[in-house]
Amino acid sequence: MSVLARVFEDAGLTTVAIALVREHAVRTRPPRALWVPFYFGYALGKPNDPEFQHQVIAAALEMLNADSGPALADFPEDAGPIGMPQASEVAAGVSSDGDGKVGSNDGGLDAADTLTALRPYYERWVEQRGRTAVGVTGIPQRRFRGIVRFLEAYAEGDGADMDARPADVTVPQFARYCADDLKAFCYEARMMQRPNDAEPELHRWFWGETAVGALIDRITQRLNATGDAKLQATAYGLSR
Amino acid sequence: MPRLEVLAEVQRRMLQFFPCMEFDDTPWSPLAMPLSEARAAIVTTGGVHLRDDRPFNRDLPGGESSYRIIPSDADPADVVQSHFSIGFDRTAIYRDLNITYPADRMRELAAQGVIGGLGANHYSFMGALRDCTAIAEQTGPEVARRLKDEGVNLVFLTPT
Repeated sequence: MSVLARVFEDAGLTTVAIALVREHAVRTRPPRALWVPFYFGYALGKPNDPEFQHQVIAAALEMLNADSGPALADFPEDAGPIGMPQASEVAAGVSSDGDGKVGSNDGGLDAADTLTALRPYYERWVEQRGRTAVGVTGIPQRRFRGIVRFLEAYAEGDGADMDARPADVTVPQFARYCADDLKAFCYEARMMQRPNDAEPELHRWFWGETAVGALIDRITQRLNATGDAKLQATAYGLSR
Repeated sequence: MPRLEVLAEVQRRMLQFFPCMEFDDTPWSPLAMPLSEARAAIVTTGGVHLRDDRPFNRDLPGGESSYRIIPSDADPADVVQSHFSIGFDRTAIYRDLNITYPADRMRELAAQGVIGGLGANHYSFMGALRDCTAIAEQTGPEVARRLKDEGVNLVFLTPT
């Protein structure tokens, strides 16, 4: 992003950048950067807090008064969590039953049943918020059991595919999009179901207690075991 | 994000050794008009795009260096994210698109007269790239030309 700021400024545009990694802004030297002490994913600090977000933007715009660059300022106030548990850090009480389905320690639901159980919460989330992060695959959530069947087959080995996959998207890439949609569906449902859960609790629930998280992690394990660098790069975006 | 010294060892080392481009100089184009007269646009490296646009995809032409155009009056409900990395917490953007792509905040600033207005489009790239050469040499300059054609003076850049 600092590189883009330099390119734009070179072209005669004035730029102000939010920087999450201060050390990288120091090395790349964008013209004006406001370093913020927030975790990755929280560039504006606090979700659903327009007032706080405006404070961050105002601090960034204040840098337009600098006479020369690189101008690097530090936003003073901290906000939110400073890390997130990954799948490998969560003690998963999850096991495979050997026929492609994955059981979980959350009442023994498999991945498809988990989606069914979460659906009322997800639909209420969308109704109340008017927005969902689900939608990268373009497959309607009512057909997500088909996604689960595809991912369960993909977790078992090559050869799995789905009619909805566009011709110019590879199967591993499409599996990645499917995983992104399932994650967004589950997290949004959970945030509706348990509105007071903080982010670390949401991640521990997803990776440690749901069959959907376990299914995605099984795909990661399989792709990593192939030794193929491209598949491993895909796996790195699924879970770690 | 928090200063590197407070992070876990594995994440700190990844960031310390991240191959970002280094420069000794800094280009400088100060705003030629008051902020209240400047036309602004967001350029994010959050990997967001319109719901019916192509998700980011390493395997397509342009791959990681491609960009997506998002009309500045697009409904937030029509914007989704297909970022490659899971090194950031997506619960934030699930809760509020503005956390990475502050389109609503920019519209508010325009309505309040803090900025003069918005360009027709915002732009989105993939972030956390280990090689920015194609962005620096091709797609970045291309978006700069588009922004200038759209009368934009001020670019607000956000990461994820």
